[in-house]
Amino acid sequence: MANTNVKEYNPRVSTAKSRLTWLWSEYSVIIAFIIIFIASSIMNPRFLDMNNQLNILMQVSIIGIVALGMTVVMLSGGIDLSVGSVLALVGVITVLALNASGSILVGIFTALVVGSFAGFLNGLMVAKGRIASFIATLGMMAATRSIALYISEGGSVSGEVTGFTAIANNDLWIFDYPVIIFFAMTALVYILMHKTRFGRYVYALGSNEKAAMLSAIRVDRIKIAVYSLAGLLVSVAAIIETSRLNSISSSSSGVQYELDAIAAVIIGGTRMTGGRGKIIGTLFGVLILGILNNMMNLMNVSPYLQGFVKGLIIIIAVVFQKRE
Amino acid sequence: MTQNPYITMKNIKKSFNGVPVLKNVSLQIGKGEIHALLGENGAGKSTLMNILGGVHQPDHGTIYINDKEVKMTNPRISQEQGISFIHQELNMVNDLKVYENMFLGSELRNKVGFLKVEEMCQQTTEILSKLGVDIDPKEYVRNLATSYKQLIEISKALLHKSTIIIMDEPTTSLAEHEVNRLFELMKNLKKSGISIIYISHKLKEIKEVCDRYTVLRDGELIQAGDMEQEDIETITKLMVGKSISQNRFVHEHAFGPVLLEVNNLSSQGLFKDIHFQVKKGEIVGFTGLAGDGRTELFESLFGYRKKYTGEIKINDQLIKIDHPRKAVEAGIGLVPKDRKENAIIKDLSVIHNMSLSSIGNFEKTGFIQENVEREKFQYYKELLNIKVHNPRITIDKLSGGNQQKVIIAKWLEVGADILIFDNPTQGIDVGAKQEIYQQIVALAGQGKSVIILSSEAPEVMRICHTINVMYQGEITARFDGEEATEEEIMQYATGSKREATQIG
Repeated sequence: MANTNVKEYNPRVSTAKSRLTWLWSEYSVIIAFIIIFIASSIMNPRFLDMNNQLNILMQVSIIGIVALGMTVVMLSGGIDLSVGSVLALVGVITVLALNASGSILVGIFTALVVGSFAGFLNGLMVAKGRIASFIATLGMMAATRSIALYISEGGSVSGEVTGFTAIANNDLWIFDYPVIIFFAMTALVYILMHKTRFGRYVYALGSNEKAAMLSAIRVDRIKIAVYSLAGLLVSVAAIIETSRLNSISSSSSGVQYELDAIAAVIIGGTRMTGGRGKIIGTLFGVLILGILNNMMNLMNVSPYLQGFVKGLIIIIAVVFQKRE
Repeated sequence: MTQNPYITMKNIKKSFNGVPVLKNVSLQIGKGEIHALLGENGAGKSTLMNILGGVHQPDHGTIYINDKEVKMTNPRISQEQGISFIHQELNMVNDLKVYENMFLGSELRNKVGFLKVEEMCQQTTEILSKLGVDIDPKEYVRNLATSYKQLIEISKALLHKSTIIIMDEPTTSLAEHEVNRLFELMKNLKKSGISIIYISHKLKEIKEVCDRYTVLRDGELIQAGDMEQEDIETITKLMVGKSISQNRFVHEHAFGPVLLEVNNLSSQGLFKDIHFQVKKGEIVGFTGLAGDGRTELFESLFGYRKKYTGEIKINDQLIKIDHPRKAVEAGIGLVPKDRKENAIIKDLSVIHNMSLSSIGNFEKTGFIQENVEREKFQYYKELLNIKVHNPRITIDKLSGGNQQKVIIAKWLEVGADILIFDNPTQGIDVGAKQEIYQQIVALAGQGKSVIILSSEAPEVMRICHTINVMYQGEITARFDGEEATEEEIMQYATGSKREATQIG
């Protein structure tokens, strides 16, 4: 008995060093963010410019909202590859609904319904059809892109309701609406994941599905809810994307968003297999990616090389997380 | 034969997590001898064999083969010493063919490096035919019945030209004529000078085929000797020990009305025709050997498995349980076995593990109130004597006993009337074991119905009012907890005896 408990927390041993390792393991992404932020401000004085900072936030807001949903999916032990294509499809249908009805509210409502329905279908395939999430959402990715292309005949669709552009192009004090929406969504998802039973169940499911089920959790329903939520957040991102130019391209909108979102989630410290990770981590993961993109533009790095740097950062982030 | 043993294991000691599993055990095996290694579940047989097979390293003690000291630092070295280990669980790759499985890791290749498929097939057929098995070596293993898989496993060991073969319960899924063939083969092997260590619970088989025996109990060497001089009864006594039914924990008290009634419960290939009743305040035990179907039975009752027929009545009301949620709503709780895989959520904190199945108790307008959770945990911490300094650490940092107490707290919080404990003291040290027994008895005292599943007969004898013995998916006997003896339980659990009429 005596020697079974020694492993767990001994206050005398928790010296500065062990506290530091704890700080690092819990907040490594925030520390990495601070380091990158300081390095960036030294390397280029224009980085700290207020307009530049706000610009970074504006640029990450769409991917950020998608990444929040991706975090929830990945915490549950799955992955959602369909986000980019679903975004394009939601955008296309939203524009059609806007033009047909002339009402912004109808447009927004349509967007939310289409996105969460696509997510619901993903969830149904994963939970009830027992298809691996990678495969199910890969199929959804191909199918939704194809429908988007078909509806808009391969091109872009433009909205005729001018008021719709206000969503992405207005600001409150110094913050653009998309930035505010991103932060509001972050707060909502944070509360959902840390203060409600839904969040608790998602962590449990991602950590040990069998034990979660034997704990009398309706695992199937939680999975469906997880993918639907991810779809809903994609809808919000799609509304912003469409509103920016009051149009959406069925072929190029949302392309590779799934990769950026997954990258942000991984950099944010969420474990690929689920059960571990934080919403706050994803927020900083998104910001790190945003700063890197911004810095590469400021320093005139060839756009062709930017993917290389991004890839490198993702791999470095994962290597560091493995250390713990 | 003892004067010139081929293998000697001397003064082996081994502990896991501070719990001693082998306490100074020695074992001697002669050349060309079939040696029975006997003992109950948890006696240390498997650990001892895993040490010989190089899977575990002993904390203390030495192994000699042919009077030379050998250090079995990994399974490969053990193999090179001519030791083959036929494990209880089947290590077959289902998606490979029979001959590919046979030669896995030691494929025959020609000079260029290509596989010599025909030769491997031919050798496979030869060895299998010695066991009287006629299967196409190019058949996929997944298409074969379990008994064939077991025979292939055995043949694999023969292929390696071993001098020592360890067989851990090799006959669990074999039919009688297959067992007889295996025994013939073992006798032939013996003649050619191969030593066999045979682990089994089936004493009749052992008596038939083994030359010598060693009995272990609670990690200690009890006795070794020649098989001929002993009869089955004495050996059973040696395995069980006399002091075993230490004072019973359970208090006799009046039971309430029948709370749970199960009729005709069957599930293809897992269990069949199960009848039993549990009254309020009663502790009912289910015991048997590995593969007796008791875990599957109660996983079905709990709604984790859905493919079963029969009726379940709670408070005389027929209910359909097809999801654990339904079971919980009907008042059933399950503390599963294999804590790590089935019970704990290792990434959640101790508190969150406690509240996982009853979050509704801690919610206010949809939000979880962490302070209420914390207070409740404090209550259980004192009630169950859970040793944890900071309950916000993840549960995997606790010792096994404390983890189990947290899981018990989780089900107490749900407030189930019927509590099922599957192997509740698996991997738990003695002190915590006692505490868990006391808790179980206290629950029954409060009028809850308790069901204990355990592979250890002494455990159910100590804490149960009624004991059911299962064998191959059927209840073969039912005892009053007071009257049961371990010998009798063993006889029914091994299938050597069964009651003519079903009770209940």
